[in-house]
Amino acid sequence: MVKRKLGALEKVEADLPNLQHKIRRDPKSYIEDFRAQHYQYESHREIFMAAPTSATDTGIISLRDLIDFISHVADCYPDILKEFPQQLTDLLMQHHLVLEPELREKIVGSLVLLKKKDCIDSATLLHTLFPILISTPSKTLRALLFQKILSELRTANSKTTNHKLNRTIQTVLFNLVTSDRTSSKALWAIKITRELWKRQIWTDAKTVEIMKEASLSENEKVTSGGVRFFLGGDREREEMEDEDSDADVDVGRIRHQLGINKKTKKKARVAEKAMALHKKKEKKKGQPHPLNFSALHLLHDPQGFADNLFNKHLKTAKINQHNREHKLLVMQLVSRLVGLHQLHIMPLYSWFQKYLVPKEANVTSYLASLAQATHELVPPDVLEPLIQKIANEFVSEASAGEIASAGLNAIREICVRQPLAMNETLLQDLVMYKKSKDKGVMMASKGLLSLYRNVGADMLKKRDRGKEAAMGLRSGDREQKRFGQQENGGIEGLELLEQWKADERRKRREENGLDPDAEGGSDEEEADWDAWNVEDDEDSDDSGGWINVESDAEIDFSDSEDEGKDRPSKKAKQEAEAKNSEAKDAETQKESNEEAKKISNLATTRILTPADLAKLAELRAQAAVDSSMPKGRRAQLGDRHVDDGLTAEEIEGLASLSKGKQTREERIAHAREGKTDRSEHKSKEARRKERKEEQGKSTTNKEKARRKNFLMTLGKARSKNKRSLVETRAVLKAHHDRAKRGGKRGNVGN
Amino acid sequence: MGSSAKRKKEKQKDFQKPKLKVGKAKAKPENFTDTSFRAKAITLNQQSLHVAAPTSNSQFSHFLSLLSSKSDTQRRDSLAHLTTAIASRPVNQPLPQPVSVMLPNLLPLILDSSNNVRTQLLKFLRTLPHNDVQDHVGQLLPYVRAGMTHLAADIRVSAVEILSWMVEAAGENVVSSAGGWVKTMNCFLSVLGWHTEESSRWSSNRASFGKSGSKGKPMIKVLGALAEFLDAGIGPPSGSSDSSDQEQSSTWTFPLCQTAHHMNTESTAPYAYLNLFGQPRDEEGEMYETREDRYRVFQTRFLPALDRGLKSAREEGGELGRASSSVNKVLKEAVAYGPGP
Repeated sequence: MVKRKLGALEKVEADLPNLQHKIRRDPKSYIEDFRAQHYQYESHREIFMAAPTSATDTGIISLRDLIDFISHVADCYPDILKEFPQQLTDLLMQHHLVLEPELREKIVGSLVLLKKKDCIDSATLLHTLFPILISTPSKTLRALLFQKILSELRTANSKTTNHKLNRTIQTVLFNLVTSDRTSSKALWAIKITRELWKRQIWTDAKTVEIMKEASLSENEKVTSGGVRFFLGGDREREEMEDEDSDADVDVGRIRHQLGINKKTKKKARVAEKAMALHKKKEKKKGQPHPLNFSALHLLHDPQGFADNLFNKHLKTAKINQHNREHKLLVMQLVSRLVGLHQLHIMPLYSWFQKYLVPKEANVTSYLASLAQATHELVPPDVLEPLIQKIANEFVSEASAGEIASAGLNAIREICVRQPLAMNETLLQDLVMYKKSKDKGVMMASKGLLSLYRNVGADMLKKRDRGKEAAMGLRSGDREQKRFGQQENGGIEGLELLEQWKADERRKRREENGLDPDAEGGSDEEEADWDAWNVEDDEDSDDSGGWINVESDAEIDFSDSEDEGKDRPSKKAKQEAEAKNSEAKDAETQKESNEEAKKISNLATTRILTPADLAKLAELRAQAAVDSSMPKGRRAQLGDRHVDDGLTAEEIEGLASLSKGKQTREERIAHAREGKTDRSEHKSKEARRKERKEEQGKSTTNKEKARRKNFLMTLGKARSKNKRSLVETRAVLKAHHDRAKRGGKRGNVGN
Repeated sequence: MGSSAKRKKEKQKDFQKPKLKVGKAKAKPENFTDTSFRAKAITLNQQSLHVAAPTSNSQFSHFLSLLSSKSDTQRRDSLAHLTTAIASRPVNQPLPQPVSVMLPNLLPLILDSSNNVRTQLLKFLRTLPHNDVQDHVGQLLPYVRAGMTHLAADIRVSAVEILSWMVEAAGENVVSSAGGWVKTMNCFLSVLGWHTEESSRWSSNRASFGKSGSKGKPMIKVLGALAEFLDAGIGPPSGSSDSSDQEQSSTWTFPLCQTAHHMNTESTAPYAYLNLFGQPRDEEGEMYETREDRYRVFQTRFLPALDRGLKSAREEGGELGRASSSVNKVLKEAVAYGPGP
């Protein structure tokens, strides 16, 4: 054979990474070498399969290296490697118990790599990995598999939602949960589901169904996993979303640094990536927010679920030391469900009865759950004994302040939801505690009092009713709601819009020099409305056959008055006059009544234009912001959003006030709480300087001059003294010119 | 002024960072304590001294265990020791340890990275009695095949040498074992680079990968081994045993002349083809027990590639051409014999 000239690289001891690199560049030329390595792999596999348990290290090259090598070049030779993925799968499935850890991890990694190269599809990969995840005893392997499965599901759903894959995996998880209700293997289903829920990859009812089944499992760990999901999954999701939006790139800074620093390819790449990310984020900001339902709202048949949970976990089992926490969780979930969906589980209330004693551990949680489970469709006679019991057990002169205030708070929370559950004598008794020396008890009692001033003032003693309630009672508009009575439907925030319109009108009238409070101003409003109405009528008049569409007939979508003023119709004028006279005749009392009526009539008397609706949304948002401000935070107890659960802390409420004086340390800690962490007090200038330094920016010229080494300035200072007059003049002139020009290099143009 | 600056500098010194330079050792801190020590001598308090020397048997197993040692020389020396122990044993005495015990230690050495170890291994294998090897061909073959396709050329060559020894010792077993025919043929083609039409042409610029070995003329050795292998697999039966059997049986009358077919076979693993306990086999891993089977597979899968390769080798001439002619001869005989009588 003719001696061939060898390239420099080929002289090196042959190694697989080198070959891999060459194959990737030119698969066709190296097919023979690859084939040899594939046979090599086959032989090693054969050796391994003959004795999987006693796998010895075979020389320089191990099966692990070969698997790694082949999976890296798998996309170059698809026809030779048709069976390779299946072989890996079999190897892993059959021998994962005895494989050495490194080889095992390599196989998992290779399978993921093959998926990345599209040699196998995600469903196959997940169907391989998932059974091993739930059956392997190795912790490291489980961690690896869990991470791989999650990332696989995330990437599969990254561009568009992969419904098919999601459905199959959800079915697998569902079957895992329902197949064996006593095993703890379902924990993996819960972990995966929860993680994907958190990342908003799975947001559908099927996901919730999996968790529902998990909550009904026999295994305590699985159950609490499912219950915790319902209690905290949505908050977790929101927090995750906030975190995501926090991480933002400072585009301006990157652009600036790109102009200053040395330009390398790597830096350009980094900047490009950052810009792309930023652009993507901007784009996302413009998109409508995806509508996400909370898990509790996606439940099918909440009544059945709550019934099952109650019967399975609460009713039969006795609460003891071991399962207390678990039972508390289930109780919270059941009561949340009952309150949110207005369910009826009558045994639940009698079940609460035996836990409502102050010496019970976590009694505030029980109280909170009871309040949570109350809604306006619960029969009052079911709740009455419970309230009575709370009053008897908790609220007495003899009991400690914390206990009494917790009891009062609980009673108030129940009564907010079902005011009819209270009877007159008890209420009057409880209200007497507003004179208590204990601050917590006093506040709690006052809370109850103010609640009943709103919802049932006639049950209070006359002197407790207050002015507003007393007047309301006398005029008869403060009637207590009867059981099951529903509010008439309305538009949320309508009164805000009305208020705003009135304010606007008043302003305009003031500008025009008219009396702002005169009632006659309403004619403009009416005219505006009627003008539109008339125009409509004109259209519909000759609509017997064809509708005449006038080319210049614009429908006024804004609520500007000018157009309306141009052609006020006769009818409108008549009506306005009638209203005027009516208003003038009426007494002040009646006037206010009418005002109230008109507010509720706004939607029925006017067509809300799109501009109105936009304003309405704006006002509503404003109101929401206002109410979340600390001042008005707890102003209205009935205002809580239905989705939020009631916590034990809220029941404890002001109990801390009952404790007596705080120590100095406590007071300091309390004062610190509200403050942001600021290291020290510094001047604005100093802080700015610090910030600049942090960002890697330079100092100002002034600062540089100040910092300049003294010895360097010395020479110039000395020579300055010895200058002749002519020199001094020249220097001054030069300085003046320079200043005019704008610096040494000038500042003209750029 | 001067003194204050000086003092300032002195003060500053405490807080100055030491300058680190590439390629120079990091300066030791001021309060560094040298804790290194040197041991001067090792004293053994106890020695295991025996009056009696270890028996040759225990020595043998000791050296057997040393085969998996980390150092090359140790492996080679213990192999040498084992070789002499077996070669110098009295005739008709059984091996100190059965082959099945030795084999798990020996097999990984086929892929050993050291040349010396592999040569020594071949020497050792040659000392083993042939009929002991016959039972373990199935275990040996995967390692040999792995060696034949190894990246390092030296390992390839020594694996081919081991294969030719195996053919010599247990030819029939090698070609008829599971995967022994098709897979080994594949490996041969891959070693020779004759798989595809393009790669077998001498003019093709085959970018061969890997270091060519330190031993010269690998191709010639491979061709020689291939000739032996083909001869064992599809060469025309020598006829000595068969014909004598036939002659013998033909003397018997009808029911008795077929007795041989109804007897248990004398081969080592008569029911191996059932594959009761192993992995399911595919076409490549199947056993081809008779010459007809092997010839049929050979004709469909390997004959064209082999023809092509031989032709180009002949055209190349020289030593390689001569070596290829021996393969050619075997092939011609086999083709002339055809699928069998």
